[in-house]
Amino acid sequence: MSLAITPATAGRLVVWSRELTGTTTMLRRTIRADRWYWGTWVALLSLLPPITAAAYRETISDDAAGAEITAGLAANSTMRAMLGPPYDLLQVGGFTMWRVGGFVALLAATMAALGVIRATRAEEEPGRLELVRAGAVGRHAPLWAALLLAWAACAALGLIVSASMLALGTPAAGSVAMGLGLLLTGATFAGVGACAAQVSASARTARGIALAAVGAAYLARAVADGSATGSPLQRLGWLSPVQWAAYARPYVGERWWVLLLPAVLAAVLTVVAVRLEAGRDHGAGLRAARPGPPVGSERLRSAGALAWLLERGALGWTLGGLGIFALTMGSLSDVFATVADDPDLAERFRRMGAGAQLLQDAFYVAMIGILVVVIALIGLSFVERLRREEATGRAELMLSTSTSRVALLRAFTVPALGVSLGGAVLCGILLATPAAAREGDPGQVLRLAGAAAAQTPAIALVLGLAVAVHGLAPRARLLPWLVAGWSLIVSWVGAVLGFPQWLLDATPFALLPRLPAEPMAWTPVLAESALAVILYALGAWGYARRDVT
Amino acid sequence: MTAVIDIANLVKTFGSTRALDGLDMRVEPGEVHGFLGPNGSGKSTTIRILLGLLRQDSGVARLFGGDPWADAPALHRRLAYVPGDVNLWPNLTGGQIIDLLGRARGGLDTQRRGELIDRFDLDPSKKGRSYSKGNRQKVALIAALASPVELLLLDEPTSGLDPLMERVFTDVIRAEHAQGRTVLLSSHILSEVEKLCDHVSIIRAGRVVETGTLTQLRHLTRTRIACELDAPAPQLATTPGVHDVVVEGDRVTCQVDAARVGAALGVLTTAGVRSLTATPPTLEELFLEHYDGQHEVVDSRVLP
Repeated sequence: MSLAITPATAGRLVVWSRELTGTTTMLRRTIRADRWYWGTWVALLSLLPPITAAAYRETISDDAAGAEITAGLAANSTMRAMLGPPYDLLQVGGFTMWRVGGFVALLAATMAALGVIRATRAEEEPGRLELVRAGAVGRHAPLWAALLLAWAACAALGLIVSASMLALGTPAAGSVAMGLGLLLTGATFAGVGACAAQVSASARTARGIALAAVGAAYLARAVADGSATGSPLQRLGWLSPVQWAAYARPYVGERWWVLLLPAVLAAVLTVVAVRLEAGRDHGAGLRAARPGPPVGSERLRSAGALAWLLERGALGWTLGGLGIFALTMGSLSDVFATVADDPDLAERFRRMGAGAQLLQDAFYVAMIGILVVVIALIGLSFVERLRREEATGRAELMLSTSTSRVALLRAFTVPALGVSLGGAVLCGILLATPAAAREGDPGQVLRLAGAAAAQTPAIALVLGLAVAVHGLAPRARLLPWLVAGWSLIVSWVGAVLGFPQWLLDATPFALLPRLPAEPMAWTPVLAESALAVILYALGAWGYARRDVT
Repeated sequence: MTAVIDIANLVKTFGSTRALDGLDMRVEPGEVHGFLGPNGSGKSTTIRILLGLLRQDSGVARLFGGDPWADAPALHRRLAYVPGDVNLWPNLTGGQIIDLLGRARGGLDTQRRGELIDRFDLDPSKKGRSYSKGNRQKVALIAALASPVELLLLDEPTSGLDPLMERVFTDVIRAEHAQGRTVLLSSHILSEVEKLCDHVSIIRAGRVVETGTLTQLRHLTRTRIACELDAPAPQLATTPGVHDVVVEGDRVTCQVDAARVGAALGVLTTAGVRSLTATPPTLEELFLEHYDGQHEVVDSRVLP
């Protein structure tokens, strides 16, 4: 077959290159705008594997006791469901990949998807790209610039991880496989973000779609790894792009071909995104904007009604997603029924769990621990809405009516608080439901609802902090995110990072009793609840007194 | 009778920028008051203080005799505000937003709402995100005008409106004026202010440099006279109140203070006038004059 260029191909090439015009300009602009976003993410994520590897000998001793611990970890369904398949925990590389590799892959996916949306739809929605597109910039230039930057950031992450793991003396092939796996996971979800950015005219919806994809991928692999050995459900893991990096088995007989999966999917998603973008108008989603009601319903007469109308969809989706997650994870708990039959394994687990009498309780504690932090992050994104209302000038419009500052604050924060706190309790209930149904013990449901409720003061504290920051020091808006982000890292991988215990305890979640594994402790629950109320009140007090700009 | 807006010596700083630097302004009931100034002169800051969104560093601002900061929600039932750059909720329709804003203000006249939607030719079933700038402006204008309030605070309300809609806006505001509504109209479009306003305050760098009725302001400035003379008139240049005399052959142009036009004409008549045009100052000249930056603050109300 010859490679002669026909006039038709040449024409397409011309169009193609014309649509790429200005990609370098866009890339420069995007780098300048988003350098902190990518820089922070890459720096934090690339630290986790080397820190874990460096602390390996402190976590797992090089003797029979160490072997005992790793065997216990590998057999523990809770740990598997949370982290991924353990291939070989007796060497640094394999342990690091299992303990933080999957977690870093999951966060790299989140970083890449949100980063691409940030530079494309989130710029297009308020009309900032229009100005750029009016210049000598082709139709796809912003998308390509965003994707190139995302790939570059993922490559940097992969490279730093590979290099630092090499420097720590782990085998070269494994180090490269690990870095490459992270790179390709990120690239795949950059494609997911690029596609999500085309679907809806709203950046918020695009983020929702992308995060739902990340969440679904995590859920699929959690079910696969949490299922009993030999269960057909274990194959579900292959459907999860956040699992492929682990399936490539870095350090444990690398299966390089697995990495073709994310490479191909990344390419396909990129092509799809470009095609979708070619077929839509600037500023529009895939579906033409539909007209809505020409009059407001009788109830639409206050800031509260406005906030409810704006948020109810997203709140509903969030609750639905969390419910599905909790119910699915809850249904994994039957694994423990079979494990408990093996007295040797059961004894090993008992020594490992957070002092839990029952393996199942340890599993519930771990799941609730993850869910409450994720719920706090979601709650923060709703409180964030308040800041966006002010930044866009829509808060000013509402405040020019007889709406008071406090009423506006309440309108946007009370639903966020209600759904977060209620959602946490609901998650506890749904987590317990499968086991309760199986064992005919409805008391389980109440027990886990209580366990989740005991963690809710920390959610309220994080959201209260966000309100306080909004009212008193709006510039420190990253503070609540840092608290919640740190809590997420601690609850997921904190124990293996070799950090001092006081640092690991320095999250609002860690201070609360972890029911049902620990006894109820009223002091931290009441103290954090009171602090949350005080912070909220301070925020409202400050917001009523500061300039609205 | 208390003034609707009464501002004295208002100061507001943002960091090292002095946005308002001792601003004084008074708007009486029933006035359509033009608030004229270039971008960044402090118009929006003043309005935002009146709305209780910002707190002044010093000075006094009274709205309906009340404190705009402390009594905001109550005072806001009596006013409606249209920002210069309207940002709408992307997923709400124009009709929903009009109803929300009107009701949150304390109620709106549905019949009037319908009339205004017709006159401004707005499709109220479109979503906020699909409106153009002009249409977003219309949504906020209709929401404000359909509310039975005493005061309209309009911050550059016609930006983005096409000429046809600008005319509708002019007609509507005139009708409001006739019915006794008070309007504060901030603008840098002079013709708009000249058409609509009976009072004008000109603001520069956070201070009001000129305030009064249009007629009073015109009296303060110079009339331009251009004429052809039979004989030279050398004494013209020395006549008090006559400035910038330019002689080109028998053509003479000069600027004359409003109070000295009679004297100047006397001098010219003795020289034999063949033709003469006298142009009263437009608001534009008034405006530009103040932006040359040499003018002293004059309150024409206190002049005899």
